[in-house]
Amino acid sequence: MVTTPYVRAELLAHAPQGVAPGQPLWLGLSITHQPEWHTYWKNPGDSGLPTDLAWTLPAGLDAGEIAWPLPKKIPIGTLANYGYEGTVLLPVPVTVASSFAPSPLAKDATIKLRASWLVCRKECIPEEGEFTLQLPIQSTTALNGAAFEAAAKALPQPVLAGTNGIVPDSQAQIADGNLLNVSVQGLPVALRGKTLDLFPETAEVIDNAAQWKQAWNGSVWTAQIPLSAQRSASPSLMPVVLAEQSPAHATGPDTRTGYRAELKVLGTWPQVASVASVSPALEAALKANAAQASGAAAPAMGSGASSLTLTAALLGALLGGLILNLMPCVFPVLAIKVVGFTQHAQDRRAHRVSGIAYTAGVVLSFIALGALMLGLRAAGEAVGWGFQLQSPAVVASLAALFTLIALNLAGVFEFGHFLPSSVASLQARHPVADSFLTGVLAVAVASPCTAPFMGASLGLTATLPAPQALAVFAALGLGLALPYLAASFVPSVARALPRPGAWMDTFRKLMAFPMLATVVWLVWVLGQQSGIDGAGALLILLVGLSLVVWALSLAGRARVWMATVSIAAMSLLVWAFAPHITHIPTAQAATPSTQASATGWQPWAPGAAEQIVATGRPVFVDFTAAWCVTCQYNKKTTLANADVLADLQTKNVALLRADWTRRDPAITAALTQLGRSGVPVYVFYRPGKPPVVLTEVLSVDEVRATIAQL
Amino acid sequence: MKLLRRTLIATAALVALGAQAAATVGQPAPDFTLKDTSGKTVRLSDFKGKHVVLEWTNPGCPFVRKHYDSGNMPATQKDATGQGVVWLSINSTERASSDYLEPAKLMAWKQERKATPTAVLMDEEGTVGKSYGARTTPHLYIVNPQGVLVYAGGIDSIPSARPADIEKATNYVKVGLAEALAGKPISAATTQPYGCSIKYKSAS
Repeated sequence: MVTTPYVRAELLAHAPQGVAPGQPLWLGLSITHQPEWHTYWKNPGDSGLPTDLAWTLPAGLDAGEIAWPLPKKIPIGTLANYGYEGTVLLPVPVTVASSFAPSPLAKDATIKLRASWLVCRKECIPEEGEFTLQLPIQSTTALNGAAFEAAAKALPQPVLAGTNGIVPDSQAQIADGNLLNVSVQGLPVALRGKTLDLFPETAEVIDNAAQWKQAWNGSVWTAQIPLSAQRSASPSLMPVVLAEQSPAHATGPDTRTGYRAELKVLGTWPQVASVASVSPALEAALKANAAQASGAAAPAMGSGASSLTLTAALLGALLGGLILNLMPCVFPVLAIKVVGFTQHAQDRRAHRVSGIAYTAGVVLSFIALGALMLGLRAAGEAVGWGFQLQSPAVVASLAALFTLIALNLAGVFEFGHFLPSSVASLQARHPVADSFLTGVLAVAVASPCTAPFMGASLGLTATLPAPQALAVFAALGLGLALPYLAASFVPSVARALPRPGAWMDTFRKLMAFPMLATVVWLVWVLGQQSGIDGAGALLILLVGLSLVVWALSLAGRARVWMATVSIAAMSLLVWAFAPHITHIPTAQAATPSTQASATGWQPWAPGAAEQIVATGRPVFVDFTAAWCVTCQYNKKTTLANADVLADLQTKNVALLRADWTRRDPAITAALTQLGRSGVPVYVFYRPGKPPVVLTEVLSVDEVRATIAQL
Repeated sequence: MKLLRRTLIATAALVALGAQAAATVGQPAPDFTLKDTSGKTVRLSDFKGKHVVLEWTNPGCPFVRKHYDSGNMPATQKDATGQGVVWLSINSTERASSDYLEPAKLMAWKQERKATPTAVLMDEEGTVGKSYGARTTPHLYIVNPQGVLVYAGGIDSIPSARPADIEKATNYVKVGLAEALAGKPISAATTQPYGCSIKYKSAS
C-alpha cells in the first residue's frame, strides 16, 4: 500500500482457485483519490498520462493489458480529460502457463509491481509506487472478489454482445475535413433516446472539449464530432466507448455501463500540409521581387522585418485590376458593357448611376470571393486564388451562362419572350441592377486571369489580417472597374462614341462570337478536369439548353409543344450526362495535357525541385492551370520559344510543371511558400543561390536573362 | 441572386467558424501581441523572416520541471537561438492559479535554470494560448519565416514525467528545427503534446 497526500494505492489480487495453470488470476491496482483529484484513462484526453503498470512476476505468469474500466469525462475549462475519480481498480488478467512450476516448498508466488501515475486536480503530481504481494499458490485469494467483480462490470462491453458474432456496422465518416460523422449500431435498448458520452480510445484525433451534436435515429446513435485542429493520429479503425452522460464531478456510486464499438473510418483523413521552410535568403529574394513587381518605391529597409507593405499591396492590386481589363477573360464582359454604354450615350446621369452600380458590383463580388477564400482557408481548406474554377460544376455553370449570353446577343431569343414580364422588364426598369450584375459577371470570369503585379498582392492576403486582406481585394475590384467608372463621369468620352443606330445591332451580334469563344475555352478547361467524357457531356447539355431556350422563344401552340418536348429531353440529358461533368477521371486516364512530358517537362511533386537542386542541377518550375489564360499564353509563346528552349537545354535546366487545374493542397502549399496564392508562378531554383521568381507575364528576354545568370 | 445570397451566408458562417478554429499546421500562425516579463511589448509578426519557436510553460508543472531541471529545455533553447531562431516562452497560467508566478519570479526561475529564450511572455488572459489551441505545459509550436505554423506538438516522443526518459526520446523540436532550417518539410509536423493542462482563466 502506498499513501500520498492525493491517493491511496494498493495492489490487489483475485485467485479463487489459487495460482494454477488454466485457473483465473487477476491482479490490480486500486487507487482511491482525494476529492477533486483524478488519474487518467488509456487515452488521457487533452493532457495527463495514463497510469502505467510494470510487473515483475515469477516465470510462467504473464500479465495482460489493463482492462480499463469506464472512465469519466473531466472538463477543465476549455480542455477535457478522460479519467477516474473516487476509487478505481485497474484490473490486469494474468495467464498461468503450464510451465509455471514453483518449487514444492514455496507457499507463495512473489508479485512485484512498479506503478506510475499522474494525479491531477488543476495542478498535477507524477507519482510512483513499488508494491509487493505474496500470493498463496495453493489456497484461495478472494478477499477482494467484490472489487474485481465491480471492475469487471465497469469494463465496457462490446456492442451487441452475444448475438453469434455478428459484427455491427458502426462507422466514422470523415466529412468536410474537420468532422467525424459517427454512427453506432447495436447499442442496448435501455440507452435509446439518452444523451451519451463518447470516449475515443485513440488519442489525438478528436477535439475532446468541443460541444457536438448527437441524435438517435431509431436504433442507431449518430454524432458529429469535430476533429482536433492539431490531429496527429490517422487511424483506420477507431474504437470508442459510449455511456450515458453523467454530470461532471458526479458523486455517489457510478451506475453507468460502457459499450465499446469499433468504428470503421470511412473517407480519407485531411492531409496535414507539410510546409517546407523558405530560407531567409529566398525570403529576401522574394521581397525584392515583390517590391520590384509592385513598381512602388521599394521598401528597402535594412530591418527586413516588413515585407511588401500594405500600401504597396493596395497599389499593386489597383494596378493589377486595371490591367485585368485587357486580359482575354474579361474582354467579352466589357463588350457587353460597351453595348450598354452606347445605348444611352446621351444620358449623362444614367451613365454615372450605372458606372457606380457596375463598380459596386465588381468591388462587392471581389470582396465576397476574397472572404470566401479566406473563410475556406481559415476552415482548413487548401485553396488559393482562382480556386472556384477548380470545381467542374462552376466551370460548367459558367459555360452555360456564356452560351445563354451568346444566344441572346446573336438574337436567337430575347429574354422578354419567355421570362415573366416582371423579371424581363427588370433590365429595362432597373438599369442599376443590370449594371451591378454585369459587375458580378465580370469578376466571375476575371479571376482566372491573374494579371501581372497582382501575384504578390494576392499572395500577401494569405498572411494579412482579414480586414486588410479584404481591402486588397477591394482595391483589385476598384482597379477593374476604374476605366468604366471614369468613362461614365467624363462627358467627352460619351460624346466621342458613335450615335446609336443600325450598327449597334450588328455590333451586338458580333459580340456573340467572343462569348462563344469563351465557351470553347471553358469546355476545354472542363476537359482538363473531367476528361473527354466530361467535355462531351457539357457540350450535349449546352445543345439541350439552347434547344430549351429556342423552344421557349416560339409563340402559340408550337411553343407549348416544343417547350414540353425539349424540357423533357433536357431533363433526360441532365439525368444521363450531368454526373460525367463532375466525375474526376482516374489519374492515368486523363493526364492533363499541361503535363505532357514530350517536351522534357516533368510533373512537379513536393520536394522534387529541392532534390534536383541538391544534385547541382538548376530547376525551372512552371506553376500553371488549364483555366489560367495567362499561363496558357505564356506556355504557347515564351515557354515554346526556340531560343528559350535552347538556353534551357544548354544550362541543363530540369523542367518541372505543377498543374493546379484541379485542387491540389501540395501545390497550394508550395505557392504559399513562394508568397503567392494563384497561378501563374515561374521560379528558377539554383544550387547554392536563392531562387528567382519571374514576373507573371513572361517575356523571352526576361527568361533568357535569368538563364544567363545561372 | 438566391445563390449569391446563399454564398454570402455560407461565407459569413465560414469566417465565423474560422475565427474560432485553433491554429493548424500549414496555415498562417495567429499573430499576437504580449508583454514580456520586463513589460516590453512583443509581437509575433516582428519576427517575420525568422523561425520562431513558441513554448507554453508553467514552472508549477512537473513536466515542465522535468525538462528544465534536467537542462533539456535550456539546451534546446540555446541550440535554437544559436542558429538565429527566435524562442518565445509563453505562460498562459491565470493569475488566480496557485501555479501563477509574477513576471519577475518567473524570469528568476528561468534564469536559475540557465534558460535562454528570446523572451518570456505573459498571457494571463489565455487568449494567445487558446488561439493556438495550446493544451499542455509544455506544448511547442514552430512558425516559419513566412509566418506559417509548421509544427505543433510535444517537446519529445516519450510522454512521461521521468527525466531518465529524455535521453531515449526523440526531441521533436530539435529535429523539426534542423529540417526547417535546411529548407525541408518537417517530417513529424504534428505530435502528441504531453504534460499538465494549462491553467486557463475560466471564461466569464
